[in-house]
Formats: sequence, structure tokens, C-alpha cells
Amino acid sequence: MSTATATRGGKFLTFFLAGEEYGLEILKVSEIIGMQPITRVPRTPSHIRGVINLRGKVIPIMELRARFGMPRDGAEDTCIIVVQVGAVQTGVVVDKVSEVVSIGDAEIEDAPTFGDGIHTEYLLGIGKTNGRVKLLLDIDRVLSGDEVAAAAAAASTA
Amino acid sequence: MTPLTLDDAAALLVQLEPTDQEDIAKLREALADLALDVQVPLAAQPLVARAARLLGELADHRTDDREATLAAANVALDDAVTAVEAAERRAAARRDGGEARASSAAATTTAPIVVPEMPSPVAPAASSSTPAPAATVVDGSVDTVPDDSDLDLLRDFIIESVECVANSEAALLTLEASPDDAEAVNTVFRAFHTVKGTSAFLGLHRMAGFAHEAESLLSRVRDREIAYTSGCAELSLRSVDMLKAMLADIDRALAGDRRLVVPVGYSALIAALASYDPSHDASLAASPHSVATTSTAAESGDDTARRAAPAAATAGATTGTTGDSTVRVRTDRLDRLIDLIGELVIAESMIAGDPLVSGSAGGVHHDLARKVTHAGKITRELQELAMSMRMVPLRTMFSKLTRLVRDVAIKAGKQVEFVTDGEDTEIDRNMVDILGDPLVHMVRNAIDHGLEAPDQREAAGKARQGQVRLSAYHAGGNVVVELRDDGNGLDRDRIIRKAIEKGLIESDKGMSDSEIFALIFAPGFSTADTVTDLSGRGVGMDVVRRNIESIRGRIDIASAPGKGTTFTIRLPLTLAVTDGMLVRVGTERFIVPTVNIHMSFRPEPSMLSTVVGRGEVVMLRGEVMPMVRLHRLFGVADAVEHPTDGLLMIVGDGEQRRTVLLVDELLGQQQVVAKSLGEWLGTVRGISGGAILGDGRVGLILDVGDVVALGQSGASVPLPAGIALAA
Repeated sequence: MSTATATRGGKFLTFFLAGEEYGLEILKVSEIIGMQPITRVPRTPSHIRGVINLRGKVIPIMELRARFGMPRDGAEDTCIIVVQVGAVQTGVVVDKVSEVVSIGDAEIEDAPTFGDGIHTEYLLGIGKTNGRVKLLLDIDRVLSGDEVAAAAAAASTA
Repeated sequence: MTPLTLDDAAALLVQLEPTDQEDIAKLREALADLALDVQVPLAAQPLVARAARLLGELADHRTDDREATLAAANVALDDAVTAVEAAERRAAARRDGGEARASSAAATTTAPIVVPEMPSPVAPAASSSTPAPAATVVDGSVDTVPDDSDLDLLRDFIIESVECVANSEAALLTLEASPDDAEAVNTVFRAFHTVKGTSAFLGLHRMAGFAHEAESLLSRVRDREIAYTSGCAELSLRSVDMLKAMLADIDRALAGDRRLVVPVGYSALIAALASYDPSHDASLAASPHSVATTSTAAESGDDTARRAAPAAATAGATTGTTGDSTVRVRTDRLDRLIDLIGELVIAESMIAGDPLVSGSAGGVHHDLARKVTHAGKITRELQELAMSMRMVPLRTMFSKLTRLVRDVAIKAGKQVEFVTDGEDTEIDRNMVDILGDPLVHMVRNAIDHGLEAPDQREAAGKARQGQVRLSAYHAGGNVVVELRDDGNGLDRDRIIRKAIEKGLIESDKGMSDSEIFALIFAPGFSTADTVTDLSGRGVGMDVVRRNIESIRGRIDIASAPGKGTTFTIRLPLTLAVTDGMLVRVGTERFIVPTVNIHMSFRPEPSMLSTVVGRGEVVMLRGEVMPMVRLHRLFGVADAVEHPTDGLLMIVGDGEQRRTVLLVDELLGQQQVVAKSLGEWLGTVRGISGGAILGDGRVGLILDVGDVVALGQSGASVPLPAGIALAA
């Protein structure tokens, strides 16, 4: 499993996507911006929505629904969470940003190895606070270069 | 181990007889070490070095009057001791006398200096009877960067020294032209001196030692002890090369294993420097670094440089004297600044366009409008300034080439006058490095292939000395760099023969001269009959063109038989800004670089046809061109389907066949700042990058070459790409 034994607790930014609540490590989040016109980039995988201008920098925008194989129907697309992994900034489109919560180590469980909806390999674990369940994303994996590159290569040779 | 102080050495020297060959050699070793020792005051070092040099002459039997030489060595060493004492007195005076540490000055100068019993670790016992080199190091041997050194300091040192060395190189070339130029001598001297001082401070003793020897040679020139002859010039230039090599080595060592390798020729060169004698120039000319048979060429080469002097001299003098102060800024910060200013311009134009300001909302806010206009002026000035920050003059590159010409001319046995003008022309910093290699290659070619040998020139009724002229100027929004030689010109027939032989063309029918000359840019093409180590290996001109095109430049050739060849390189003013045409395709907008566009037109139905197996083609004035529908290639919805409703744009990037792109309409010409889409997306076929458009949105810049290639392979994307796949 991807969810290593290291401490997983900490502060998380939670957001809604297709009715579920997800969490992102707050240290990986660089800012939240409102929805804005996205320039589509042709010949890229479907989960790449395109690029936007972030104060003079061109950054790619990822469509999480497509990444997780969910339909786009009913998407509200209210904001973009800009995450920074290494030196690379990437925007992630979400329905609604919720709050910042502290989730202790003890409140996080390993993701079950079954179930539908989201692929469990993209999860750090499942956090439970205030009686609610939050799916904690392993954003590094979600943005993982290999798969994206492979998909891009596939798309451009198609 | 024999501890030896300067006083000891002086005492020993007095006792020596001119015939004590072995002792002289030993003492010379010791003095050579002493001369580099940081504990010997700077004022005394040259004197000690002089004594060592004189002893070296004795040891190597290079002097006729042994008595006089020995006496001179004695005088030098005595002077050194006096200088040390004077330095001590000054130091003591500074300490106000009474301090307890007053004796430490004496301790400093008399600190035991360890002289190895064996002068060189690899040359045991016998070495004392043979003339040993001044420095006891072996080429290729290794030591390490001092462990306690400050890396930042070291890096600054490298940057500063590289500049120093480059300056001194330019000054050396000036010197060659006008050997009496005291300012040039001083420039070189100061450069060596700075390198020596800083490297000693940083614990890079080998480098300090070397710089010291080089400095000593120059100080002899400065003090009019010796003249700046061609031998001396050769030595100085080789010293500059050695310093460059050592600097590069330190740079490499810092990045990796911290091991410093002594460059090949180090000890030989340091010995040559220490024992340089103008009357022995002949032996230098025969050294492996210059070809013996070209000694006449070398001399005439010197002449050439002398005649070409004005340009070089002014270059040297101005770099030496103008005191423009500069601040080093990391390029990523600079780029970010430029990005942000671009954003500021967009934000400003949004404010200026706001109904509240422009007055379209009803009430006119005159005051506000005035303030916004004022802010707009400042913004534009700021933008211009930011763009100019990336610009550097071509001077540095030109002076590097001056050096290259000198070396190549000697090697090729040609007489060359190298004329440069326009070295103040500025180009984008990022272009300098990419332009450097092609120019080096072309200059080499011009001398090696372009110019004829002196005899041949004379037979053809030309001056024995050929001319290579490098000029730079602004023309029509471009920077033009022109390389012109007055050699034999390109051999049109031979190029055609070679091209047919290599299967590049079938015949030369219908080809213009410039099209034929352009064949030399094909990979693997070489017209040189013999392969020399200078040029003619068939790699090169294709790389030249690729490099130039990579910075969105263009290269053209003009040539006349017997008159010479001119290469003209046209470059955009800056890499940061792309001249582009904004086009609309359905709901999307793309930027097509203007450099790729030949023309655009609305087609008549009669121009269009479909060729079986080759797709749609367009015929315009007898030329048949394939058509690429951008909307199909990029999967854009709602685009113009029929070419007669849209516009056709003829594009090509020079190498490829001209192709026609179908777009909906042209939105106008625009200068955009090209940006990468980021490594996360990787390369996207057909797209070279993105740019922020006037409305703040990102526009994609077409990679025309790739679009054409994609179009020809028949690739297209189903409609509408993203959504269809996601659903």
C-alpha cells in the first residue's frame, strides 16, 4: 500500500467534489483562486483541462473528476486549488472549498482496498473528524508524472 | 625536511659560487616555493621570484656571464629581505609599538618554510642535478579544494576571475597590436594580480602560484625590462588559457568530487614563465603549442592584428576604463520580474478599459482618467526597462572571436585581417550562448575554407592578407550579424556535384544561387577536399542553422566567385518576445509566429482539390500545397468547415515544404512573451508554448514545423476531445 507508516496527521484543506469531502495536506496548497477561463490545450489527456495565467505564470489545470474517472455531469467548478509539488505548480478544479481542519494521526485510517468511486491508490487514508469522513488525497500520486506523461504520450500518438 | 626562511636563503645565496650547479638548483627550488608563500609579504614576492628566475638561468646554463647573474640574484634577494623588513616596520608601527604581540611580525616572516628534501615526489635523487621546474607538481596530479573553503566565496571568485581573464585576453590582443600600450599591460597585470590575491586567500595555492608567475612576466613587461614580443605574447595567452582551464576545473570540482586536477602542461608552462628570456623566443615557437612551419604566418598574423588594431584597441581600452558599476542578478529573478511587469501591463490596460475610467459608464471621472494615464506611462516605461535588462552587447563574443581568428590563422597558415564593427549592438542574454558556437564555426570555416593561402591570393591578384569582417547592426526590428570574407567564394558547381552525389537533389534545374548555397546546411554536407582538424568533417553547418533557428533566427548566404562569401544572420531583438499573429479557430485562439507566415488569403473554390492518398491540397499561382485543417488537428468545435468561408495561411519553417493552414479569421498581430507550458504537461505536439494575451488569458503558440508534420501524418483528434473521453 502507498499509505506508509509515517505520521499522516496534520492540517488539511478540505473541499467537495461530486458530493464527497476530500482533504489535501495544507503544506502542499499554495493558494485558492476563483474559477477563471481556462485555455484548452489540444492533444492532452482528458483530465487536463488546460492552462491558466497565474499572475504571469502559465500553469496547467487538472480535472479531478476525469482523473478519478467520474462523470463531469453536475460539476459546479467554483474554484481552483493551486498546489505546489516540488517546483511545479498545478491547479486542481474542485466544486467547493470547505475548511482547514487538523486531523490527528489516530483519526486517520488506511483506505479500504475495495470500493468504487475513487481509486484507493490516490489516498493517504481516511480521516474521521466530527463524525464525518474525509478522503485524504495523496496529491503527489494524483499528479504523478509517470501516468500523466504516459497518457500524454498515448494521446499524441493516437 | 629543511626549514628555510628568506633570511636563510639570502645567507645561503651569498655563499654560493657560480659553479655550484647542484646547490643553485636546490636553492632555486626553495626560492620558487618562497615566492609563492603567502607568508612572504606581497612586496617581496616579485623580488624573490626574480632571484629564483636568475638562479634558474644559472641552473639551466642559459646565461653567459654566470658571475653577473649570480650577483643580480643576490641583489634581488637582498632587496626582498629589505622589503620584508620594511613591511615589518610598517606593521609594527601600526600596532603602536607597545603591544605584546609586537614580535609576531618577526615570527611571520621568519616562520619556517618547509622545503621538501626531494624537489619532486616523482623525480627522486637525480632531480637535483637536472633543471627542475619551478613548481613541484605533475600534470594530471590531483589535490582537493580546501575543506574549510566557503563555497559561495569560491563561486564568486570563479565568476569574477573568468571576467578578469576575459578582460586580460582582450587586452593581450590589443597589446599584440600595439606593444607599447601601457594601459593594456596594466589591465593584464591587474587581472593576474587579482586572481593571484584572491586564490591565495581562498587557499588555492596552485592557482595563486601560477597567477603569480604570469603576473611576474607581465610586471617585467610593465617595468620595461623586456619587450612584449611575439614569444611573450604566446606565453601570456597560454597563461590565460591555463587560468581558464584551472578555473573550469575548480568549477567542476565544486560541483562534484572537489578534486582538482593539474591541467596538462602546467609545470612546463610555469617553468617557461619563470625562466622566460626574450632571446629564446625561437625555442618557444617550436613548442608543441604552435606549429613550427608557420612562424612566418605567426609573424604576419601579428601584423594583421596590428592593422586590425583600432577596433580591438578601443574595445580593450573601454572595457578597462569605463567604470559602469553592475549588480549580478539571478536570471530566474529577472525573468520573474519581467513576467510580473507583463502582468502589470495587462492589469493596467484592464483598469484603463474599465467603463468607470473610460467614461462609457456615463459620468466621466476626469481626475481618475488622468491618474490612470499617468500610471500607464510609468508602466510602459517600466516594461521597456525590464526588456532592456536582458540585453548584453556583443562585445565579449567579438573579442573571443578575435582570439580565435589569431589561433586559427596561425594553424591554417593564412594571413588574416579581422575587422569587427558594431560590437555595441545588444542582443538578448540567452541568445549570446546559442549564437556563440555557430559563429565560432563560421569564423573557422571562413579562414580555413573561405580564404585562400597567401600565395594563391597573390596569384589571383589579391592582397596576400585576407580579410574577415564581422559586423552587427540593427535593421528592420532585427539584429543582423554579418560575417564576410574576401576569399574564393563558394564553389557553386562543386556544391551541386556533392549534393547530387549525396542524393540531396536530382539536378540543379530551376534552383537559384541562394537555394544552391543553402545546400551546405544539409546534415553531413562538406565541400572540403581534405579534412583538417579545423573544419571539414561534414558536421557543422547543419548545426549552425539549427542553432540559429532555435533562437528564431535566419541565416542567408551570398557568394561571388573569387570575391568572397557573406553569411547574414538575422535574429529577433529579444527571445522574450515573439512576434505573432493571433488567429481564431472556432472557439479557440492560437498564436502563429510571424516568422513562419508567408501570406494569407481567402481561397476561390477552384483552388481547392483533393488528391487521392495525399489529402486536400491548395493550388496558388501554380504551387501545390497540402492543406492542414487546424480545427481537426486540435479537435476544436464550431470552426469554419469550408475553406472558402475561412482564411488560408501559407506557412513553412524553411526546411519543410510550404503548407497551408485553415483558420477562421485573423485577429491581429501581437507581440507576446513566450512561456513554457511547464514540465508537468511535457511537450504537447504542435504547441511550442503559451503566452498571456491582452485579456489576461493564455493563448497557445503553434509550433508550425510540428503542426505541418502532424498534418502530413494525417493525425487528427476526435471531436470534442476532452469531453468525449471523459464521458
